Amino acid sequence: MVKPRTFGYFFESAGKSLLRNSWMTLASISTVAVSLLVLGIFLVVAANINAVAANVEGQLQVTAHLATLSAAERGRLEAEIKAIPGVTDVRFVPQSEAWQRLLEWYGDNQDFLAGWEEENPLRDSFEIRADVSHRVPEVAAAVTVLAGVEEVLWGREIVEQLLAITRMMRLVGIGLMVALALAALFIIANTIRMAIFARRREIGIMRYIGATNWFIRWPFVIEGLVLGLLGGMMAASVLAWGYYLAVRALVQAIPFWPWVQPWPFLQQLALLLLSIGVVIGILGSGLSLRRYLDA
Amino acid sequence: MLELSNVTKAYPNGSVALNQVNMSVERGEFVFVVGASGAGKTTLTKLLLREEKPTSGKITINGKNIAKLRPHEVPYLRRSMGVVFQDFRLMPTWTVEENVAFAMVVVETAPRLIRRRVAEVLELVGLTNKHAQLPSQLSGGEQQRVALARAIVNKPMLLLADEPTGNLDPETSWGIVKLLLDINSTGTTMLMVTHAKQIVDTLRKRVVELESGCLTRDERCGIYHG
Ligand SMILES: Nc1ncnc2c1ncn2[C@@H]1O[C@H](COP(=O)(O)OP(=O)(O)OP(=O)(O)O)[C@@H](O)[C@H]1O
Ligand SMILES: [Mg+2]
Repeated sequence: MVKPRTFGYFFESAGKSLLRNSWMTLASISTVAVSLLVLGIFLVVAANINAVAANVEGQLQVTAHLATLSAAERGRLEAEIKAIPGVTDVRFVPQSEAWQRLLEWYGDNQDFLAGWEEENPLRDSFEIRADVSHRVPEVAAAVTVLAGVEEVLWGREIVEQLLAITRMMRLVGIGLMVALALAALFIIANTIRMAIFARRREIGIMRYIGATNWFIRWPFVIEGLVLGLLGGMMAASVLAWGYYLAVRALVQAIPFWPWVQPWPFLQQLALLLLSIGVVIGILGSGLSLRRYLDA
Repeated sequence: MLELSNVTKAYPNGSVALNQVNMSVERGEFVFVVGASGAGKTTLTKLLLREEKPTSGKITINGKNIAKLRPHEVPYLRRSMGVVFQDFRLMPTWTVEENVAFAMVVVETAPRLIRRRVAEVLELVGLTNKHAQLPSQLSGGEQQRVALARAIVNKPMLLLADEPTGNLDPETSWGIVKLLLDINSTGTTMLMVTHAKQIVDTLRKRVVELESGCLTRDERCGIYHG
């Protein structure tokens, strides 16, 4: 075990090494920062797409157009629909209401609807809501097979596109993260390797005078950790500042869009980036220590 | 305190540096190790430091077979020994004081004790007034005295010196040897590898000779060539 007091020496030693190889230090901090920044931007975009998706999905409903039914038949059908697992709300929309909606939708341009009024071409329908959006397809399928239902409409395209985007984001995101993390890992490992070589004479002496392996390793671990942490801090501050400004501008441009609010989202994001930075730093130095230090 | 029994060291390339060596050294002894170049003297010190493992045989230090040490125990073995080399092995960018203190930093001594003890050993080797200089500002003999101060600062029981005067002129060499004798007189066991005939012949200490890896001579009050 290393005494706590000795960590003063470790930090001093790591600091000297970082300053001595200042170009390498700068290069690795920037690489870590850029990697984490790209990762952060990706997460910000993903979070916003998720927010939009949740918003859209929350508004999704299944519309079942009905055949001409008696009141009793309609009542039975409504009960059947309510019995489908996941259905939370069923609302009857008579064809007259549907017509009114159509008129409202077209507003000032409704002239071409004139004349259809008498023989309303629309049908009665049920508007059905599910408790969670991913059950919408299920509910739609169950409604389709019921007697008295002629046609079922739901936002199939929207849901499927959103799901596809989310899937793709996840795939691209994971690939991107792995590639960038590897780049950051590599540059830190390389910096530590150079630090080890710069100090190999000192390390040789340390071995002769009875330094334990951990005593020799600690300064390099700290060096990697500091590189990762500084890179993470840089990425987090640029991202937080950038997103804060971006949201401020966007909220004015598109007021009712469900932007993810900076707080506490950015705090969590910053914490995540810092942690990843630290982990990458420690792993990177660990790689070089294993390769170049252990006798 | 130190015992080798049937120690053989064959390097991976096949060269046999030590061959069935038996010897034992008592606490406080002063031993010269002599022999032609390539006889296996440096290999002997490497085995004692556990820088290399013997191919066969047993090396016991203070009752412990050091061939059996696990890696994490090796640093503690080395803390019981001091080492000096022909080429001093000082950090060129550190002052005399820092070089010596480093041996105590590494074993995590309290800073207060470090300052006091470093001043003490620098006085012992006569470098008190050069404590703030860099190795490059010192003569070879002075540099070796710094290395010696570093080797004894943690009060080892055994001091290994591999040709400590190999790079020094005869007069300077005597200065170093006198220091080694002083250190030895305080109870530190001394193993000195050397080619310095004049020193060995003058001091008449115990002499162990290696010839192509075999121990061929072990005399109580020996001379360089038997
Ligand atoms: N790492 C090694 N790998 C292979 N062979 C080695 C190694 N180190 C030493 N040897 C061989 O072992 C033999 C003994 O070497 P050693 O260094 O112990 O000799 P020495 O007595 O110290 O010589 P010198 O007086 O020149 O310092 C030599 O033949 C040498 O070539
Ligand atoms: Mg030698």
